[in-house]
Amino acid sequence: MKRITLLAAFSLICLLANAQTADEIIEKYFENTGGKDAWNKITGLQYNASVNTQIGEIPLVMYNSKSGSYVKMTVQGNEITQFAFDGETAWGMNMMSMQAEKQDNETTENVKRALKEFPDPFLNSKENGFTIELLGKEAIEGTDCFKLKLTKQPTLVDGVEVENTSYYYFDAENYVPILVEAEIKSGPAKGNISQTFFSNYQEVNGLYFSFSFTQGVKGYPGQAINIKSVEINPEVNQSLFIFPENK
Amino acid sequence: MKVFNVILLLITLSISLNNYAQEPIKLTGDELFGTMKARQIGPAVMSGRITDLEGHPTNAKVIYVGTAGGGVWKSLDGGTSFNSIFDDYNQSIGCLAIDPSNPDNIIWVGTGETWTRNSISPGDGLYKSTDGGTNWKKMGFEKSDHISSIQINPKNSNEVFVGVLGPLWGDGDERGVYKTSDGGATWEKLLAGNLSTGCSDLVMDPKDPNILYASFWEFRRTAYSFSSGGLNSALYKSIDGGKNWQKIHNGFPEGALGRFAIAVAQTNSNILYSIVESNDRSKSGLYRSEDAGESWIHLNKNFELAVRPFYFSRIVIDPRNENTVIKCGLFGSISRDGGKTFKGLGPQHADIHDIWFDINNSDIIYSGTDGGVYCSYDGATTFDMVDNLPVSQYYHVSLDNEEPYNIYGGLQDNGSWYGPSESPGGIEARDWHPIGGGDGFRAFRHATKNIIYSEIYNGEAVYRYDLDKNIINTIHPFPAEGDPKFRYNWNTALQVSPNKPDRIYFGSQFLFKSEDMGDTWEKISPDLSTNDPKRQNQAVSGGVSVDNSGAEMNTTIFCIAESPLDENLIWVGTDDGNVQITLDGGKSWTNVVSNIPGLPKNTWCNHIEASTFNKGTAYAVFDGHYSNDKNPYVYKTTDFGKTWKSIATSEIASFARHIKEDYVNENLLYLGTEMGLYITIDGGKNWIKFTNNMPAASVHYIALHPKKHDLVLATHGRGIIIIDDISPLRQINQEVLKKDVHFFETKPTVIWEQSSFGGNSTFSQFVGSNPSRDAKIMYYLQKRHTFGKMTLELFNSNGELVGTADPGMKKGVNIVNWDYTVKPPISPKGQFNRKGIFMSTQLPEGDYKVVLTKGKDVYESNIKLIYDPKSSFSLEDRKLKATLIKELFDLTQQLAYLVYEIDETISYINAIDFGKDKTKKVANDITIELNEFKNTLVVNSGDNYVQAAEPGLKEYICDLYNLVAGNTAKPSNTHYNNYKMQKGKFEAAKEKLASIKKTDFKKIEKYAEKNSLPSFTLKGFEEFLKQ
Repeated sequence: MKRITLLAAFSLICLLANAQTADEIIEKYFENTGGKDAWNKITGLQYNASVNTQIGEIPLVMYNSKSGSYVKMTVQGNEITQFAFDGETAWGMNMMSMQAEKQDNETTENVKRALKEFPDPFLNSKENGFTIELLGKEAIEGTDCFKLKLTKQPTLVDGVEVENTSYYYFDAENYVPILVEAEIKSGPAKGNISQTFFSNYQEVNGLYFSFSFTQGVKGYPGQAINIKSVEINPEVNQSLFIFPENK
Repeated sequence: MKVFNVILLLITLSISLNNYAQEPIKLTGDELFGTMKARQIGPAVMSGRITDLEGHPTNAKVIYVGTAGGGVWKSLDGGTSFNSIFDDYNQSIGCLAIDPSNPDNIIWVGTGETWTRNSISPGDGLYKSTDGGTNWKKMGFEKSDHISSIQINPKNSNEVFVGVLGPLWGDGDERGVYKTSDGGATWEKLLAGNLSTGCSDLVMDPKDPNILYASFWEFRRTAYSFSSGGLNSALYKSIDGGKNWQKIHNGFPEGALGRFAIAVAQTNSNILYSIVESNDRSKSGLYRSEDAGESWIHLNKNFELAVRPFYFSRIVIDPRNENTVIKCGLFGSISRDGGKTFKGLGPQHADIHDIWFDINNSDIIYSGTDGGVYCSYDGATTFDMVDNLPVSQYYHVSLDNEEPYNIYGGLQDNGSWYGPSESPGGIEARDWHPIGGGDGFRAFRHATKNIIYSEIYNGEAVYRYDLDKNIINTIHPFPAEGDPKFRYNWNTALQVSPNKPDRIYFGSQFLFKSEDMGDTWEKISPDLSTNDPKRQNQAVSGGVSVDNSGAEMNTTIFCIAESPLDENLIWVGTDDGNVQITLDGGKSWTNVVSNIPGLPKNTWCNHIEASTFNKGTAYAVFDGHYSNDKNPYVYKTTDFGKTWKSIATSEIASFARHIKEDYVNENLLYLGTEMGLYITIDGGKNWIKFTNNMPAASVHYIALHPKKHDLVLATHGRGIIIIDDISPLRQINQEVLKKDVHFFETKPTVIWEQSSFGGNSTFSQFVGSNPSRDAKIMYYLQKRHTFGKMTLELFNSNGELVGTADPGMKKGVNIVNWDYTVKPPISPKGQFNRKGIFMSTQLPEGDYKVVLTKGKDVYESNIKLIYDPKSSFSLEDRKLKATLIKELFDLTQQLAYLVYEIDETISYINAIDFGKDKTKKVANDITIELNEFKNTLVVNSGDNYVQAAEPGLKEYICDLYNLVAGNTAKPSNTHYNNYKMQKGKFEAAKEKLASIKKTDFKKIEKYAEKNSLPSFTLKGFEEFLKQ
């Protein structure tokens, strides 16, 4: 009987010691990756990356900020703006006409709404009206993780506002996300679960970033994106965001 | 004191942890199997049994499908495409419900199909999702086995009623109607059944959630009988939210009744329809009430209205017209006059289990059948099949030795088929070929001939299909004078010999052997079953209405195994629990089942696996669920059955169906269970569940390809699932598990040179994915790599870096694909043009070094590429091809440098302010000339469709380069001539630039010099290539 009491007491202590709230996990995440102050000082981030494809390695430059963003790729010496956003207009190159074309209204609106998520959706999430819920623990790739549900500003899908949720799996040892899952809400792949795995966390000017992420649809092989370098608050030619009317 | 106690406890715990550290390392599935992934190849061409259909109440595009063994699928486009949303949980679905007041988010799933045929799988409780099906939580009823209904108060999400049908194969005390008022946290039993009577249907009045109708059904199956109905079967009504219930039988026949169906009209909740099963056929069929169940009028006893109540007791009313009703059935039927008359539904797969009317248009009707989901757009006159529900229900699987190998098997109500393990463009519907009708079961390819064997239920036919002549002969044995009637299992034992290609076996209660592919048969055993007369009364089986389909046939042989090491050693297992062995080719038999410890008597012997390592070794799997026993029974003998040892552990969550011994590592075993695949790497001491892209589907049979090392699973609800190349598992042992990184030995990779034409399926058709053609680099990581840099590089035998791959970073086995290609040449800069994209070329065969850099640590291994030994492409010709590719590669890079020089020259000129100097005109002229010149070398304008610019020299070289690189042949004279021409053009271009630079450009340089401007500089060729 005494033994049972002891065990119960110990279990309770373990439980308390292990108990984490969603806020505590997020606090630790920022603590372990450079501190909230440093994250708050980020105004722009440029990832210089590459992907391996059937036509060789394709360099990518992905720039993101609160006011604009772009993704450029260089295919065998030829630079193509795959996507750009100047705060009002989202656009990209049509690979048939090789002319810039505006994205549809709904995509543009959703990109605009996602501005709040820069540089990290968990930073100032309460002020942004996002909610975070700890759903429990789950093993991902053999690693114990905290599963967090992040609900952001709703997105528009075919004219209807729909809930915008993602599920983050934070490594329970290091408190960094190693997987993000979300249901794809529009397009032909809708209903599938998108997955992004993160690894190769490395330090850049005191902040930690994942230098390798693999994106794909659950159940299918993903595409790895390898980061060569991360530039914090780089000087960027603002005209690169703007839709080239006459090009 | 308390603190002291806790410290003591911590010390004790730390001691026990230290002890544990010396124990063998045990890993969970996710930890061990790492990036090894199952490949689900369907097929969906015949699909599988659908149990329940539900739609979103306000969004017609959202449809949910519950299946017999393939989980839950959701469509967001009105049924064009579906995604599986219930992979990790029990795949047998009884019912679905969508919360009317929160339909985007709250979905309930009751597991355990309720169409109680012999082959159905039990469920394991009730589940709820609060995010539209992304995440699920179990809400109780673990012992329910089969949940028939879920009703949600449309005004209160927390108030839910559940009808529990309960176990099929034995007593159950969880049967009845339950209610929760707190969203599922707690449940109150409102109406109890009894140990054999459960709730088969529960419906709610659409206008008043306090009015409920519940049908109760007395039923039971055994391995040899079925009973539907009894005095406890009844239809009840409650008008106070389930507190009190009244039997509403006014107008129904008296006496024992069977299964009821019940439906309430949404347009008028006084109108009810019910289907009644009675032993008086004249009183069976459709009843209608117009006073909310106070009284019933018998309207119709047509075949379709009364047929097979245990399989078809469902009637669905048009939500906009109470006089339009569809009765599910063998073919289904529709009435548009309130049930007085019916006509058949349009052609579709037989055996219709549920109907869903579109919420806006009653002409759009979805039906769930034994062969998938169908949709009608014209009020049930014609139906179109949904082509992307891979929920096929295989009973068996076998493989052949073709390359790629083919997969053979039979399915519930969908015949027998074979199809390839890979196909150009993916494994499409057209790749699958029917090889037998009816319900298909076991199917085999002859070991050396183009002959396929298949069968239908109860041994009624065994087909021998000659593929070359396209001839089918039916070859099963017939009784001879003096023979008793042969008894064949529904899933009849058919087996080919591993030793003699023309030998086949067939099992009734006797074992038959044919040495000539079924032309003549020899009975080589006495009755090997218990021959228990109590288990042979199928003619009167069925209960209230006789149902003697043959599915309950018992006291038969179920599995046959000839030892691959001795053709005279044959094992036989029977469905009534005998395990028989002969050592002399059938002259004498010994029943060794009594030597098996802990096995309940008469437990169905599902499979015997004769070892390929030792003659005396065999594995036996028994399935107790036919006696309501879900324990796994897995045994091993090493002395011809004299003694047996259980190798089942508590890690196995449900009953076992099949076992496969590995061909290389005798401690590596694969176990098919009701809830997925388990693997042991230590001969059965520990079992680990394989969950990587592997749903919790029932694995009925397992095949292992001896050359490809692929594990191929026949699932009863998720089609064929392949785990490609399991060879790393053969190399895992405790030594490996202790290492930080361990590279596994891999077989040489055959360089892929075959056609990739294919892939003509439409978007809405399911296509099974192919295995990767890449080389596989396989290693074990003791810990997931999350922090720091990790790279994977490949070097040729000269030590030159030839490629990189994206390293896997999972804990456990990592399989990295490497496409063994060389980077394309540095390409001349111009506008992106589809005709100017250089493809990557394959590396030659040879040994390559793999270097894994993980932080500061470096690990090395080797990998080998070989040419296809069957290829007719000679080494000499390969050299010619490689030489020309190299020349074209170099030419491209030289052209890239030339274009770079032009670009730099133009930039240099443009950067100079000539003011009013006369050189300005020269500069303008040169710039124009250089731009025009550049346009002949590389495309700089136009589009990639019908306004494309004239190709430049780059595009012509690229065209030739890609053609030569893509061909599996030596270059032809045409190719050499064209190369000569392009090279000539390049030389001319080089001279032209040199000429411009020597003449007019000198004037620019002079001007720059005079004005102290920077001189023109250019990177050297080698430096340029480093970009």
